[in-house]
Amino acid sequence: MSPLWKKIRVLFATRFAEMAEYRAEIIIWMLSGTLSLIMMLVWMSQAASAPGGQIRGYDASGFATYFLSVWLVGQLLVVWVGWELDLMIRQGTLSPKLLRPMDPMWIEYASHVAERLVRIGPLLALLVVFALLSGASFTHEWWAYPAALGLIALGFTCRFLYEYTLGLLAFWTESSTSFTEVAWLLYAALGGLFAPLAFYPPWVQNVAVWTPFPYMLGLPAQLLAGKATLAQTGQGALVLLGWVVVFWFVRLAVWRLGLKKYGAVGA
Amino acid sequence: MIRYLRLIRIFTGATISAQLEYRANFLGAVLGSLGQVGVALLTIGVLFAQTETVGGWTFREALLVTGFFMLTEGFISVFVQPNMSRIAEAIRTGSMDFTLLKPVDAQFNVSTRYLNVLRFPDLLIGLGLIGYAASALTVTLAGVLTAAVLYLSALSIVYCIWLALSTTAFWFVKTQNMAELFNGIFGAGRFPVSAFPLPVRFLLTFIVPIALITTVPAQAMTGRLTPLLALASPLVALALFAATRWFWLRAVASYTSASS
Repeated sequence: MSPLWKKIRVLFATRFAEMAEYRAEIIIWMLSGTLSLIMMLVWMSQAASAPGGQIRGYDASGFATYFLSVWLVGQLLVVWVGWELDLMIRQGTLSPKLLRPMDPMWIEYASHVAERLVRIGPLLALLVVFALLSGASFTHEWWAYPAALGLIALGFTCRFLYEYTLGLLAFWTESSTSFTEVAWLLYAALGGLFAPLAFYPPWVQNVAVWTPFPYMLGLPAQLLAGKATLAQTGQGALVLLGWVVVFWFVRLAVWRLGLKKYGAVGA
Repeated sequence: MIRYLRLIRIFTGATISAQLEYRANFLGAVLGSLGQVGVALLTIGVLFAQTETVGGWTFREALLVTGFFMLTEGFISVFVQPNMSRIAEAIRTGSMDFTLLKPVDAQFNVSTRYLNVLRFPDLLIGLGLIGYAASALTVTLAGVLTAAVLYLSALSIVYCIWLALSTTAFWFVKTQNMAELFNGIFGAGRFPVSAFPLPVRFLLTFIVPIALITTVPAQAMTGRLTPLLALASPLVALALFAATRWFWLRAVASYTSASS
């Protein structure tokens, strides 16, 4: 077994064991992410009272499908690393991690991925219940599922990297958590958490297409709802990949600058 | 009574001077507040771009509800959450002992000790939204006064729910997640309750009284309040206050300190 593979396996196994300890909390966190479900109820009842029973081609069950998909994707995109870094930098618990022969980012990344594994079971069970209650029906095209999963993996990596960068701002300011809060607002608004992006004013849509948000949240949701094509998926994946590369280097630069600053304080 | 007002003044002074140490935080907090109102407006704007009314409410009327929602969120983050989140911590570390030994009512002490002044702009934004929405509606003085009274009972409902959730810390070590759960449900308060399907409406009125917090004061202002709801809100507030007071006293009675 190569040393690198062994490293990855140990890292992942320990993170998984840690996350499994939090299983009760993970279910509560899942239940508290209700915003897309609230929007689902509002839009469903709007469609039911609209003339013809639909709004812009979405009937009540169409809205249910879209927003439940958004909920599912959003649950898989959850990232808390900014908050974690803020705490680690402020309390100094980052220091022992710097002594390891590995960038501490990988520990956090493995934690997040392991958490997904703990989350997925109850998540799918809840999804089935919600779908039965709301009358949502997901696409029958088999290729949409791996395509959505690929976008989610890319989107998660992208979100992880920019939240990590924002968390690193704690080296300089005490308010890095409020920056992650603003980033969440952008993600929710431009990603399509409140309504499908096509419902937004054109100028908002024109801004949104240049950001990674619609491709990490709205597009995989549209795939699951059977409203997006393979070509759109490819295009979205390319945009996300571009942003991942950009955020990778931004993170690296901020990390190096931050470490200098951190060393200056501690030593 | 005067003693308690003086205490509030001292607590406020201490917590403000502690927070003004971190001035850079203020910029971040203002950014967060502005972002929040922007997203709230976008959400409601997109909704009304498709239809004239939502659940029988016009745009300005629904904006009134959003205003009350933002104001309540501000109230929670300025006054309620900073205190309530410390209860569990105080029980875990044993510093609750000192609070209980002081010759001041302990519930008063844990509820008023801290403030988050950084979130103060949220209150202004909420009030501004309410003012802006009301400026295009026909609002009577009686309507405003009724709304003010009903909103006071709404705030005490919010306080009671938070206190009840935080008081469970005397038995469970962590209560932070309960607060998360409340926030998740409270998010429904940004829309008039009639915008939801009937079963959910029932749930939001009678099981978790979110409707009483944001929709009812807005109804009072627009003069579409039924007398029954006008009575229900203060009654629920009173009942909840009595229940949480009882719950708090019971919790304190069963407290055995962190070390014993």
